[in-house]
Amino acid sequence: MTAHPDQTEPPVRSIRRFAPSFTSGAVFPPLDRPEREGSVRRLWYGAAPYLLAIMSVATALGVRLLLQRLGVVGASEMRMTLFLYAIAVSAWYLGAGPGLFAAILSTLTYNYFLKDSHSFRIAADQVPFYVAFVLFAVIMTRFTAVRRRVERELLQSHDGLQKEVIERRMREEQIRELNQQLERRSAELEASNKELEAFAYSISHDLRSPLRHMVGFAELLGQHAATALDEKSRRYTTTILEAAKRMGALIDDLLAFSRIGRAETRASTVSLRQLVNEVVEEMRPDLAGRTVSWRIGDLPDLYCDRSMLRMVFMNLITNAIKFTRPRERAEIEIGSFEDARGVVVFVRDNGVGFDMKYSNKLFRVFQRLHRSEEFEGTGIGLATVQRIIQRHGGTVSAEGSVNGGATFFLAVAPALRR
Amino acid sequence: MSGLRRILMVEDDAKDVELSLTALEQYNLANEVIVVRDGDEALDYLYQRGQFMARPGGNPAVLLLDLKLPKVDGLEVLQRVKTDDRLKMIPVVVLTSSREESDMVASYQLGVNAYVVKPVDFHEFVNAVKELGIFWALINEPPPGSIKRA
Repeated sequence: MTAHPDQTEPPVRSIRRFAPSFTSGAVFPPLDRPEREGSVRRLWYGAAPYLLAIMSVATALGVRLLLQRLGVVGASEMRMTLFLYAIAVSAWYLGAGPGLFAAILSTLTYNYFLKDSHSFRIAADQVPFYVAFVLFAVIMTRFTAVRRRVERELLQSHDGLQKEVIERRMREEQIRELNQQLERRSAELEASNKELEAFAYSISHDLRSPLRHMVGFAELLGQHAATALDEKSRRYTTTILEAAKRMGALIDDLLAFSRIGRAETRASTVSLRQLVNEVVEEMRPDLAGRTVSWRIGDLPDLYCDRSMLRMVFMNLITNAIKFTRPRERAEIEIGSFEDARGVVVFVRDNGVGFDMKYSNKLFRVFQRLHRSEEFEGTGIGLATVQRIIQRHGGTVSAEGSVNGGATFFLAVAPALRR
Repeated sequence: MSGLRRILMVEDDAKDVELSLTALEQYNLANEVIVVRDGDEALDYLYQRGQFMARPGGNPAVLLLDLKLPKVDGLEVLQRVKTDDRLKMIPVVVLTSSREESDMVASYQLGVNAYVVKPVDFHEFVNAVKELGIFWALINEPPPGSIKRA
């Protein structure tokens, strides 16, 4: 949302309109008027205050003469008062120029109409009066200037406040709108999450049944017709069985993977050292006939979901064991160090490694860099690792070379650290 | 041991029924299995109504229950059984394809006695069904009021 000028302007303008004009010489502020209205109108704006000054002096003179004619005042009484009013009004409402103009005009008028001489010539004894007129005009103008300044400041702060109020209201409006957007988004997200859950549910339920039947009946066929089947047919049934089992494994892995994204994390302080030792112990039975030298270095305590982190190291260590299988002596190192990213935990092996040009594919779902005859697996382990670490706010990366082993790095976010 | 007792299997999938019965047959446990094909039939059997009006009285020694069933689903059957004073003593084993946590939680909250995920692997499946059959039909002492084998 950007501030719309039309929304901020009108209130400010209306304040200006109600306040008296302070722009010297102009009664009607030209603020509202388009400039194209022509020079005549502009001339009128310039001349109007002076015309009004003439009018006020003329009015003062008229009233004074009327009062004298009616006999309310004598010829020598109240000769200045009304002119002073006229000057005051001109200076106050019309500005300095018209004020001074009214003073001069008053002097001349006074001289001509209220003196016996009936001339514009100023007699020496009258000079103090004229000086008084001019001084009065000057004082009024000073007052006006002060008033004008004070009022302008007031108006400015008023405008500022008004603007602030409007801005705040707009910001509130923006916040409300963003909130609504957020609510909509989260509702959408929830809906799509629900959908995903339903999808995963039906996969887990409906996709597995036919698979079980394929396996079951292929198995039964193998048993029933064991003697009748020739070598080739037996191989076919075995292939059916293996394919179905593999599909079962894929479905299970995919479901487990999708569950990581949906499951809530239950964080606690986890001793990584203890966890890694547990995983390694669990692997021992699979290592019969293998020589594996473990090097487990210093490992930090992390604040994370223990079962998820366990899955991470289960995957990494299983991989390390799997891909060192061709090695006479497997070397697996698990350790940590600190660098700019924070704490980095790594799992290094001296296995078959991988070509760095495929490193971006390593963490993708179902992405494999080896044929399944070489190394079994569904290609979901590292994707799981990445998703878990990312859910915890960390990052994963890998380094390796063909036949030069592989190292997997888990850069742990500060929040993960304890 | 007092011999075999009735097993009520609620399973809509004919192939699963066949595989299960094949598994039980290998251990001579198939004879005492009554198969119903949806939740409605299961309740009919338990309440001795509809086509089961004339069946001899007594509860099955165990109820093997699939969750995804036509008409009345497994969780509802489970709930009806566990909230009915006459039925709630029947041991109920959920035997399902679903490994979903929500299903497990719901089942256990409703008081299921065991939750078994049907293994994809045939041998494991046969084994699981066999173990279930042996345990619930032979080893376990059913609650009083269950159908005994003549």
